[in-house]
Amino acid sequence: MFASLKNIFAFFSMPQKLRAKGVLGMNARNYFVIGKYNKRSLYPLVDDKVQTKKLANGININTPHMIGVIEHQYEVKDLLKIVEGHDEFVIKPAHGSQGKGVLVIKNYQDGIFTTASGKKLHFNDVYQHISNLLSGLYSLGGQYDVALIEELVHFSDAFQNFSYQGIPDVRVIIYKGYPIMSMMRLATKESDGRANLHQGAVGVGLDMQTGKAVQAVSHNMPILIHPDTQADLMTLKVPFWREHLLIGSQAYEMTGLGYMGADIVLDKERGPMMLELNARPGLAVQIANGRGLKEAIKKVDKYYPQNLNAEERVDFVLNNRF
Amino acid sequence: MKKIFSVRGILGLFLLLATIYASVATYYKIKHWGFSYKPTERSDVWTVDAHISFQPIAGQPIEVSLASPSVGQKYKILSEDVVAQGYTSEKNVKNNRIIMKSKPRKNVQDLYYRIMLYDNADTKGKIYETAPKKVEKPKFEDEYQEGQIMDLLALADRKEGSSPQRIIRLLNEEPLQPEVDAFLPVKRTQQIMAEKIIYLLAVKGITARVVRGVKLSENKRSTPADLMVEAYEGSKWIPYNITTGKAGLPKDFITFQRGGVSLLDVTGGENSQIRFSVVKSVISSFKMAGRRAKYEDSRLFDYTIYNLPSLEQNVLKWLMIFPLGIMLVVILRNIIGIQTMGTFTPMLIAMSLVKTGFVSGFICFTLIVGFGLLIRGWLTRLNLLLVPRISAVVIFVIVIMQMLTIFGYQLDYKILATAAFFPIIITAWIIERASITWEEEGARNATKQIVNTLLVAVVTYFVISSTYIRHIMFAFNEWNIVILAIVMLLGTYTGYRLSELKRFAPLTKEK
Repeated sequence: MFASLKNIFAFFSMPQKLRAKGVLGMNARNYFVIGKYNKRSLYPLVDDKVQTKKLANGININTPHMIGVIEHQYEVKDLLKIVEGHDEFVIKPAHGSQGKGVLVIKNYQDGIFTTASGKKLHFNDVYQHISNLLSGLYSLGGQYDVALIEELVHFSDAFQNFSYQGIPDVRVIIYKGYPIMSMMRLATKESDGRANLHQGAVGVGLDMQTGKAVQAVSHNMPILIHPDTQADLMTLKVPFWREHLLIGSQAYEMTGLGYMGADIVLDKERGPMMLELNARPGLAVQIANGRGLKEAIKKVDKYYPQNLNAEERVDFVLNNRF
Repeated sequence: MKKIFSVRGILGLFLLLATIYASVATYYKIKHWGFSYKPTERSDVWTVDAHISFQPIAGQPIEVSLASPSVGQKYKILSEDVVAQGYTSEKNVKNNRIIMKSKPRKNVQDLYYRIMLYDNADTKGKIYETAPKKVEKPKFEDEYQEGQIMDLLALADRKEGSSPQRIIRLLNEEPLQPEVDAFLPVKRTQQIMAEKIIYLLAVKGITARVVRGVKLSENKRSTPADLMVEAYEGSKWIPYNITTGKAGLPKDFITFQRGGVSLLDVTGGENSQIRFSVVKSVISSFKMAGRRAKYEDSRLFDYTIYNLPSLEQNVLKWLMIFPLGIMLVVILRNIIGIQTMGTFTPMLIAMSLVKTGFVSGFICFTLIVGFGLLIRGWLTRLNLLLVPRISAVVIFVIVIMQMLTIFGYQLDYKILATAAFFPIIITAWIIERASITWEEEGARNATKQIVNTLLVAVVTYFVISSTYIRHIMFAFNEWNIVILAIVMLLGTYTGYRLSELKRFAPLTKEK
């Protein structure tokens, strides 16, 4: 009986241990970080992907090219006209989160849409999807939404074997403009092509100086190889690392948010591109990296210089190991 | 970091003040309004009507003086009323008498004095008073009479108990001994019996007096005053029942008058008579509190919820339980870290469960959501737009509820008949969200969320369904301010959630 109790406790850790590790809890994140550094009036800038894209393009941050926007239900029937000339594209809700409602069309021919997972859809199915999207099914808080249609990202060969379907992306956490932690999210069979860790995606913590894998986790447990592709996760290294960090760092001036997550994908031809920004990034990045965000935040507050521009901040991060 | 401490300081101070206020208010309500922390508390209220009637003597002004029960004994007076048209009435507090005056009248007069009494549990039946004058031994007319009395007392001494008890028992024996029978007059009213007892006690040198009052028994109609005899023994008056000899004031005896003064004096009238009627009613503590407060002229009470009509009161009684449920949700979400569908959805389910009863509500809810999910699965194939689709689910939920209720009634499954109590829109949203979660994140996540939601609902249910807790939140509703302070303080809790201790556990494991 005593042994079984001990087993239960093995799944938990003591609060003081977490504190010693500098782990940021949800309450502390909301109170000290988001509540303090993220002005609510700035949220629309990142909650609306169309707006984010426009802002980013304004300061020459790469994003996937926009094919079109569907704002009203009567426009949905014009989808084929909008995507004319594109045989692959992505439909996503402008106000979505966690990849909800994202429809990736790999191939469009003869009225048949083929999704990333190989599913064949008819125009009616896509029509339905966009209608749902517009009525707010995938948006935060269920308000009316807008469908954003953009070009498909051709992710770099560097990640060829690391992801089971889906697009591997890099999540960079930006605090006061400094990239402080990052991870790569790899889709698995279980996560159904999505990059959300709680749905079974693999999280790979990345070293802030080099972009090399530090450790990898699946369902909160350390792993070494990808469960579906069997790729050795420890050999993962993100190319164009500085460019990745720079996109994140520039997003600070762009939005004014003190704490955010930038999702960045690496395109074969166009290099790192900003996919979206998140004003309330989750805390799973800590598990992927095996270290706490609070600690990282404290270091920025204590040692990192202020009034640097984006380039200087990235260089500071790349050159200083605290 | 510093800022939070000042915010916490303010909220902490708020909590402290709220707690002090709530404690004082609770104390006041218990002490002065007679509120109880027990939910079932009911008080007996006795309405005693003294009906005085007499024939006025022509041409003479009338003055009626009635002894009134003294306050502060076993029973307390809730209200006092005189119904006497054309009379001026006043209360002589010093002598504890009600005086009613009128100009000369002709016909038979009927005056009423009505008091409402409630049980005042803390007093005891013994009355301490300064020693009365030692009683004068009655003089006997002749030796024969003396002998007769002495024989009686000798007979009494063979009985058990104290001197007054022996005498009372002798006079009430069945059948009476011939000596006693000869001593007592033919007409043996309570009054005469009491006089005889007092006489015999006087012979023994024991001071005694008559006590007049009303024994509270249900539905007493037009009876004369009940009498007891009080004997002065040691240093106190001990009342005795004049038929059984039982010592002590019975629990339900209301004393109007003791000793020499009369119960009723009527000047300017003859053939006066007083009759008592007693009605007992049971009344909740709240209603009584209102009456008490009004009698004590407490304006405060008018501005409480207890002075509202009972419909409004019942609505508020229902609302008063919400803050506790809300606090529970805050704790379960921000301290424990349970993710549920919708913030207050579990609380709304819990409230429905209170109305339906736990088991039947639970079964019913499961059936509604189960059927709803099946129908929702079918709706998916029809490719409807979101708003019409959720609306269709709402209507389907109504239809399901209707069918369950009808079948439940016809087949006499009471369990199903409670279906109509669930909030329709909330239930429809639960179905919609569960369905979406099912499609998007898999059956496991959907089930997990439903289970979490139900779990929180069950926990909330057990807190808010307790009649004890509900009574306390209503009777002492000032504690809701304390809950407000606690909820606000919880808003500054930045520590880890319990679920995070598990979630982040891998971070502290040694590699």
